[in-house]
Amino acid sequence: MSLLVADQLSKTYKSTGWFRSDQSADQGVHHISFTIESGSCLGLLGESGAGKSTIGKIILGLLAPDSGKVLFQGVDLYAASRSQRKELRRDLQVVFQDSYSAVNPRMTIKQIIGEPLRNYERLSAKEEIRVISELLEMMGLRADDMYKMPSQMSGGQLQRVNIARAIALKPKLVVLDEPVSSLDMIVQKQILLHLKELKEKHGFSYLFISHDVMAIHTLSDQVAVLDNGTIVETIDAESLFDTVHPSCQRIVGAKSSDQFEGFVF
Amino acid sequence: MGVIRNIQWIVGRQRVTTVIPVVLLLIIVLAGIFAPLLAPNDPNFVDLSHKLQGPSPQFPLGTDQLGRCLLSRLLYGTQVSLSLALLIVTACVSIGLVIGSLAGYTGGKVDGIIMRICDAILAIPSLILAISLIAIWGAGWKQMAIALIIVQSVYYTRFIRGMVVNLKQQTYVVAARIMGTSPVRMVTRHIIPNLLPSLFIVVTLEIGWVIMDISALSFLGLGVQAPTPEWGAMINEGKTFIRSHPRLIIAPGVIILCVVALLNIIGETLGDKNGKAIPMRKAAKHSNKLKGGQHEREGNHS
Ligand SMILES: Nc1ncnc2c1ncn2[C@@H]1O[C@H](COP(=O)(O)OP(=O)(O)OP(=O)(O)O)[C@@H](O)[C@H]1O
Ligand SMILES: [Mg+2]
Repeated sequence: MSLLVADQLSKTYKSTGWFRSDQSADQGVHHISFTIESGSCLGLLGESGAGKSTIGKIILGLLAPDSGKVLFQGVDLYAASRSQRKELRRDLQVVFQDSYSAVNPRMTIKQIIGEPLRNYERLSAKEEIRVISELLEMMGLRADDMYKMPSQMSGGQLQRVNIARAIALKPKLVVLDEPVSSLDMIVQKQILLHLKELKEKHGFSYLFISHDVMAIHTLSDQVAVLDNGTIVETIDAESLFDTVHPSCQRIVGAKSSDQFEGFVF
Repeated sequence: MGVIRNIQWIVGRQRVTTVIPVVLLLIIVLAGIFAPLLAPNDPNFVDLSHKLQGPSPQFPLGTDQLGRCLLSRLLYGTQVSLSLALLIVTACVSIGLVIGSLAGYTGGKVDGIIMRICDAILAIPSLILAISLIAIWGAGWKQMAIALIIVQSVYYTRFIRGMVVNLKQQTYVVAARIMGTSPVRMVTRHIIPNLLPSLFIVVTLEIGWVIMDISALSFLGLGVQAPTPEWGAMINEGKTFIRSHPRLIIAPGVIILCVVALLNIIGETLGDKNGKAIPMRKAAKHSNKLKGGQHEREGNHS
C-alpha cells in the first residue's frame, strides 16, 4: 500500500467580489494524481504560482479540494472522523519556507520543539529535554540552543529547528514547502543533505515542493512537474534532465541554466 | 510569565520621553494608594465653621462648602476614580478576551452572531446607552460600573476579535494546528500572548476614557454618590461656587486632565514605537470619535 495517494485532486479559487476577471477562473490546481511510497521523496517542481503550495495545503488537510481524494495510509483524509484525523496528523508534518514566521516569536526553541511532543506524548520534563537535545544535535545544532529565542538564531538555524519540530513525532510523511528557498547556497546544500540523511536513516517520506531544479534533483526520487495547475510529467529524478516533454523541458531548462550561473563564482 | 515578558517587551525599549509621563502617572497612582497616609485630614469630616476657606497650613488647598479638606478629598478621590477605572477595564478586557477570541477563532455563524450584537450595541452612542441603563437600574457606583462594562466591553471584543482573525492566519498558528495543538491551547499559547502588546496600548488609552466616563456620570449624579470623594462628583458639588470659589472645580478638573493626558501620551508613544499598534490606534480613534460629545461637555464644566 502506498503511503499517500492523491487521486484526481482539483481546487479552484473562486474569486469573490464584484469584478471577476476571466483569468481568475483557472487559478488553482486540476486533476492532480500522484503517489508517495513509504521511505521515498516525491519532488513537486513548478514555477511560482503553478499551484505547488495549494497541493501542499490539500495534502496537509488544511484546504479541502473541490473534488478528488487524499488517501493517507489508506484513509481518506477529508472523510476521516475527528479522532482519526488527529491520529493521522501525527504522521503528517510540515516545514514552511519562511522559518521566522513559522514559529511563535514569543516561545523559546525548547517550547517550539516541545509543542508536538506535549500534544501527543506524555514525557517527563527530563525526558523532554533529552529528546529535544537529541533532535537539535541530529539537526547539527547545539543542545543549549534550546534556551534561545527565535530572534537569536539565523534563518538557516531556525529552519533546522523547524525541521527538528517536524520530525519530533517521527512522522511518516513530511511536506517540505520550499524549505531552503530563502537560504543561501551553502546552507541550502547542508540542509538538503541533512534531510537526505534523515530520510535514509529514519525512513521518512517527503513531499518536497520547490521551484529549484538542483534542490529537487538532490533530494527527490521521483519528480512531478507542475505547470499551470496540472502535472505535466512524472519522472525519475535521474532522468529529469533527459525529459522530452516540451513544457517540462522549459521549466527544467530555464531553472537549471540560472542555477549553473549561480555556481560560477 | 508570558504576561511579564510581554510587559518587558513593551517597556524594555522605551526612552526618556516615555519614562517621564510614566513616572508622573506613577506619582499620582501612588498618591492615591497611600491617600490614608498622605491626606492631612479626614476627607468626609464636615465642619461648617471652616467652610470655603482658602489654603492654610491645616488645609493646604483650602476647604469646600462643607468645610472638608480639599486636598484630602482629592487624594481619596484619586483612589476611588483609579480603582473604579481599573475594575471596569479589567472586566472589559476579560470579557473581550473570552468573547473576542471565541468569535475570531471559531468564525462562521458564531462570529456572525456575536459581531451583529456588537454592531447593534455600537450603533448607540456609548454614554447615552450607559445613562439609559443607569436610568433603569437607579444611580450608584455599582450600577454605573456594570453599565460601563457592558458598553465598553463591546469595543474590546471587536478589537480582540480582529486581532485574533489576523493572528489565526499566521504561519505559526497553522503550523501549530498541524502539530495537533488543541484550539484552547492555540488561543491561550499562540494567539493571546501575541496580541497582548497591542492590547496593552489600547488599555492605556482606554483607561483615560473610562476615567472621563466615570467623572462625567458622577458629575451628572448617576455614578459615585456624595459624600464619597470622586473627581466628577466633586466638580458637581462645587459647580454652585464656580464664580466665588473656582478652585473647588479647578482642582479636580486639573487632576482629570493630567491623568487622561498622561495616559494618552503614554499610549500614543507606545503605539508609535511598536509598529503593531496601528490597528489598535484606529480602534481607539474610532471610540474617541464616538465619545467626542462627552469630551466637549466635560471640557465646559471643568
Ligand atoms: N487563498 C487564495 N485565494 C485565491 N487565489 C489563491 C489563493 N492562494 C493561491 N491562489 C492562487 O492560486 C495559484 C497557485 O498558488 P500557489 O500558492 O499554490 O502557488 P505556488 O506554486 O506555491 O507559488 P510560489 O512558488 O510562489 O509559492 C496562484 O495563481 C495564486 O494566485
Ligand atoms: Mg508556494
